[in-house]
Formats: sequence, C-alpha cells, structure tokens
Amino acid sequence: MSGAADTGAGWAAARGRAARSGVWPGVLLAGAVLCLCLVLALALGPASLSLRRVWELLMAGPVQGDLDNAIFWQIRMPRVLVAALVGAALAVAGVILQDLFLNPLTDPYVTGVSSGAALGATVGIVLHLGNLPWMTVLAVAGGLGTLTLVWLAARRRGRIDIFVLLLAGVTISYLAGAVVTVLMIRADEDMHAIVYWLMGSFSGRGWGDVEVALGVLPFMAVPLLFTREMDILLQGEKRALELGVEVERTKRVLLVTAGVLTALAVSVSGIIGFVGLVVPHIVRLLAGPAHRGLLPVSLLAGASMVVAADLLSRTVISPNEIPVGVVTTFVGAPLFVYLLRRGRRL
Amino acid sequence: MTADMPGLPAMSAVGSAAAADAAAGRLVRLRDVDFAYDQRPVLRRINLALAPGDFVGIVGPNGSGKSTLVDLIDGIHQPLSGEVLVRGRRTDHYRRREMAREVALVPQRFDLDFDLAVREVVEMGAYCRGKDPGVAGDPEATLARLGVAHLAGRRFSELSGGEKQLVVLAQALMQQAPLLLLDEPASALDVSHQLRLFDLLRELNRDGLTVLCILHDLNLALHYFDKLLVLSDGEVAAFGPPAEVLRPEVVEAVYGVRAYLHRHAGRTYLTFSPRLRGERRGRVHLICGGGTGAGMMRELVDAGYEVTAGVLNALDTDEKTGAELGLRMAVEAPFTAVGDDAHAENLDLLRAADLVLVSAVPVSRGNARNVDAACEALAAGIPVWVDRRVQAGDLVGVTGRLVDAGARLFAGEGELLAALRDGGLRGLEPAPTGEDRPSRSDGQADGTGGP
Repeated sequence: MSGAADTGAGWAAARGRAARSGVWPGVLLAGAVLCLCLVLALALGPASLSLRRVWELLMAGPVQGDLDNAIFWQIRMPRVLVAALVGAALAVAGVILQDLFLNPLTDPYVTGVSSGAALGATVGIVLHLGNLPWMTVLAVAGGLGTLTLVWLAARRRGRIDIFVLLLAGVTISYLAGAVVTVLMIRADEDMHAIVYWLMGSFSGRGWGDVEVALGVLPFMAVPLLFTREMDILLQGEKRALELGVEVERTKRVLLVTAGVLTALAVSVSGIIGFVGLVVPHIVRLLAGPAHRGLLPVSLLAGASMVVAADLLSRTVISPNEIPVGVVTTFVGAPLFVYLLRRGRRL
Repeated sequence: MTADMPGLPAMSAVGSAAAADAAAGRLVRLRDVDFAYDQRPVLRRINLALAPGDFVGIVGPNGSGKSTLVDLIDGIHQPLSGEVLVRGRRTDHYRRREMAREVALVPQRFDLDFDLAVREVVEMGAYCRGKDPGVAGDPEATLARLGVAHLAGRRFSELSGGEKQLVVLAQALMQQAPLLLLDEPASALDVSHQLRLFDLLRELNRDGLTVLCILHDLNLALHYFDKLLVLSDGEVAAFGPPAEVLRPEVVEAVYGVRAYLHRHAGRTYLTFSPRLRGERRGRVHLICGGGTGAGMMRELVDAGYEVTAGVLNALDTDEKTGAELGLRMAVEAPFTAVGDDAHAENLDLLRAADLVLVSAVPVSRGNARNVDAACEALAAGIPVWVDRRVQAGDLVGVTGRLVDAGARLFAGEGELLAALRDGGLRGLEPAPTGEDRPSRSDGQADGTGGP
C-alpha cells in the first residue's frame, strides 16, 4: 500500500499555488462547466440534436409519439442524470476519504464498499433477479455489509483506527473480488453480464435508476455541515481533539456517509474508477484544500467528469459503447501520473 | 519520592476534591494519577495543583512522561487511576469543545501538509468558540500580538520552523482558554526565537494566562519559570522554585550526568558533564593558579577523572572553577604565600593521586612550595607532567629541579586534550582486574617517567 514516500509526493501534488478569493467564483465556474457538459451530453449521440432542439424538448417535457422527445426524455435524460449523480457522489466520497485517511491515494473503493457492492450485484445477476429493485438492494446491502465488517475490524476501545480501517478495507476488497471471480466461473452464461457490469456503464439506465441515484443527494449534504471539522482534521486527529473537535463522532458520520454514497453509486453504475481519486486532487489544485470550497467544487467537477466520460463512451466508436469506467481510467490514469510527477518537482 | 521534595503542596487531606478546588481557585489538580499505555506504565502517583496565574515549567529526561502528563490535563487521555480535574471537574466529563475553551495546547510536532493560508490555520483555533466573532477574536490581531502580523497572508507550508511555532501558538491563543500547555515549544527554535518565545509567554502570563510548559533547556527553565516540575521515570522528582529544584544533586539523580552550578553576571547557570561521580578513571592532581588550570580541570572532570588541586589562593580563577566543579583542593587565603597547613593538605592530596600535572603557572616565592610538593611526588614514585612553558614564568628558578628529578614535559592543554581524545591518560586507566585505580608500577611502566 501507500508508504510515506508515496503520500508525500501525492500531497505535494495537491499543494499547488491557488488563487482563492472566496468560494463562490470556483463554485460558479464548476457549475458552468457542469451545465455545458449536461447540455452537450443531452444533445450529442447517434441522433444529434441542435441546441435549439434541446431547449424545445426541455420546455416541452415528455411527450408521447415523438421520436426525438423519446430519445431525449426516456434515454438521454435519465442516463445523464444518473451519470451526474454518480460522479458527484464518488467525488464527494473521495474528498472525505482522502482527508480522513490523510492519504492522497485513497479513493471510494479502498474501504471495501465498492467490492462488496459488486459482490451483491454479481449475486443479483447470477440469480437473474433483474435490474431493479433487487440488483440495487443487493448492491447497497453488499456495500454497507463490507463497510460494517471493516468498521468492526478497525474498532478499538471505542475508537476507529483509520490505518487499520484502510488495511481491512483493502483486504476485504480482495476477498469480495475473489468471491466474484468464483461466481463468474460458476455462472458461464452470465459471465459477460457480470464483466460488463463490473467495468461500469450507464447504458440503458432509466428513471428507476435516477430514483435510486437521487438517494445520494441528502448524503452529499452531510459533509457540507462538517467543513470546519474537516479542515481542522487536516492537522491530524490529535490536534483536532485539542482544538475541540469531537473526532470520533465526526469520523463515524463521515465514514458512513462516504460508504453510503459509494454503495449507491456503485449499485446503479458498476465500478467507475479514478473519479473519486483524481477529481479531489485536481480541485485542490484549483480551489485549495479548505473544504468550504473543495467539497462543492469537487461535487460539481465529479458530475462533469462522469457526464463527459459517458458522452465519450457512447460516441467515440458509435454505435458500440466503451464502458465508462474504461474512459475515466484512460483519462484519469495519465492525469494522475502527471500530478505525481509534478508533485515531485515542486 | 515526592514526600521529601521542596515546595510540593500538601494535599493529602482531600474530601470533596471538586469543592475544595472551587474554594481554592485551583485551575488544575491531579490526584494520585497513574497512567499506562497498554501495559507499559508511564506515570505513577502524580499529584499536582495549578492555580490561576501560575507559570510552571516541566523538565525531565526523554520518556519521563512529560507529554503524557500534558495530554492528561487536556483530557486527551484518561488516567488509569486517580483523577484529573480542570476547574474542579473531571476531564472525562467535558465535551471536547468545552475543554478547548478551558485548556489550549501547543503541540510538540505540528504537521500540516496542505496549502492553507496562515490566517486560515490561526482561525481554526476559534473553532471551540463557535461562530460568534466577537468572542472568537481576530486572527490578524492575535498574530500581531505575537509580533508576526505580516505572516497572515502567507502559506503555512512555506514558513520557517520558528514562524510555524508562533503561528501554532497564535492558533492556541485563539481558543482564549485560561490555561496554556506547551510541549517543547522551543525545541525547533534558534536562541533568539527561544528567548522571544519565553518573553512572550512571560508577557501572556502577566496578562493572566496560566502557563505550563515542557522544555529541555534547564538554564531556560531556571531563568524563566516561577516553579518547576521535575519528572523522572514517570514520577514527580521535585516541584518548587527553580533554584531549589534544579540543584546539582537532583539533576544528577534524574538525568544521570554531573551538573555544576556557576554564577555569572548575577545569574546562576548549570553546566553538565557526561559522567557521573564514582565513574572515575583515575585521580589527577593539578598544580596551577591564575586561570592556567581551569580548562584542564573541566576537561579532566568531563573525561571522568577525579581531580584535586592545590595549593590555590581563595578567589583565584582556578580556585573558583574548582569550587564550581566540586573539586577537593588545598586552599590558602587570598594574596598569601602557601602556609604550612595548606602545604600539608596539598601533600596529602598529591600522594593520593595517580598523576600530577603542573600547569604553566607563574612561579614566585608565594607558591614555590608547590614545586617542592611536586618533587616529593616524584620521589614517591608518582608521575609528574610539567607544562613546558612553565620555566618562562618561573621567577625564582625552581622548576628546573622538576625536570632533573624526572618529570615529563608536555605541551599544555592541547596535548592533554589530544591524549584524552585518544582514549585517556596512559597508565591511568582502571586495571582490567576491576580494581578502582591502577597500581603505581603501571604508571611508571607506561613511560610517564620514573625517578
């Protein structure tokens, strides 16, 4: 796992010079970028729509018997909304986990939540339970189940040992992955479905998935209530205690929040890598590490990144689709290596 | 161990501790506190009381439990047994935010690897005060109070170690707590920053802040604090006014080094030698005076030799140095020629030595008898080394006799130092049989020159 040397370089990457004249310029800029991404994602595809047509369809609302309208409201809109919500949830979970673990290589998947959710979804596929609601229920149950296990492993005398949590999370991730592999081998005919799901995709997501994904909204609001505590926790848990933060309570709330956000996101989209890892780093460079700005801007940037990645995934080799997780990895991996290199030079 | 120590407040009769504390206006009180990390005991039977306005330093060797004690007062840890009371209330009955309003702590290490502005870092200290800006104070004003207002807009990660220390102090002051705990705040600071920091603490204390500060520099502790708490191996070794507490014997017992008190420019200073009494490698008698032997005295003592000297006039530089180092000396009254009594005493010291050193002391009629004494040493088979420059200052022409009688010439302090660096004065090392002192014949055989 990440040793001290790795983390040093990683944080150095996060320590760029930033112009920070308050929170709002960053939030407005990120909001504008997200709007642009949303409009492009709604307009572009196998059947491209003009901006004016997008506006008309938006104003008209869902109408029966119109092909454009059906594409817009029944296919693209739910897909884009799910992508935006998943991206926002993963980015917020990434900020929480990186700053709680004080480890720049942490992302929403190291807590074991995503692997647990993947296991749940795999069970759903193998048992042919259909997408909704059972797949979602199983995925969320799997995610929160692993979080509970990891939690119990890391609990010592009423305190959560963050380092043990990290190790237990990685271990349980491997365990869940092994079980998924066994299930895949046992279930020949479903292997394709499982692999495709694991790669992450928004293909064919409908309004039912939007309803599930909307569940992330209240949980994304939680860390916004803890921005001061999260700032202070950057100085370490002991210093936070000295300054008056109820550290254990704050950690509990934030870890559960990150776990639920990740489980919900994975349950509707499969595993989409690098969003929760890279987005917080990029935003720290632009908006600084103070959470009053970092959290909302990361939320908006995460949504933008996944919406844009999904747009690429369905347009680059149309009519075929690249799984969106592949796109985010293709974009995210070189970007992250660049950030690490840059960090070393600083 | 606490019973026989000076200044420890009597606190055995305690009924309702909380009520008593409230009545006595005590800010902090520890009663019979034991603490252990897992199974390893760290603090034992700690009793301590702090009143508002106290200015107390904590000293003690590494690992003696100083930081743990401070963390206990801040409620970061809870005692294994006994109780820690802040304003008469047990620390585990506090919420963290309430505690932060009573006790502020400046930690020993402070890492913040993020690109935050100094202003933002300082402002975090006001967290415990809630959102009321009137009570919370102003980061800029707090920095200005410490004389570093210009840092407010800088990046914390770009500051020097000393600047960071002051910013963290500013952060702690933002808590506006009546008690300030500091864990080795001076360890990363150069001497000017150290003095500035302690002057600042003094000033804050005069404005009503109660200060409890861990530090390693015993001389700073001696000069700045009203009271000192000496911790040794998890127990209170002493508590009281610095001059009473930091006596050489206490320092020796606690730190395992020799300590000497020196008075200079109206102040008392401690200096240290790495070896303890009783670890002697041999015994050396110095014939010196007028400051020609002071350096050698110190070097020999530090190297672990037992040193005696004589005959010296009282108030002579060498005599004062010898007194500060606690040496046994044959002493004559000031500006007086060596008398019979002092000479006899000198001979006694000389005969017990393994080696006699004669420094480049000016020889006149007043101290010519010291040369006679050295000759007697040679006659008795004790090696004598004579600084080769001594004849230049010999007004009565007696030192030639020493060389004739078999004394070895040496090049003064420089050669002595080199010999000490090379492992010791030849012939003076303890015999391998475990005997305390080498036998006479060893000294002669090693070429120091016999009669």
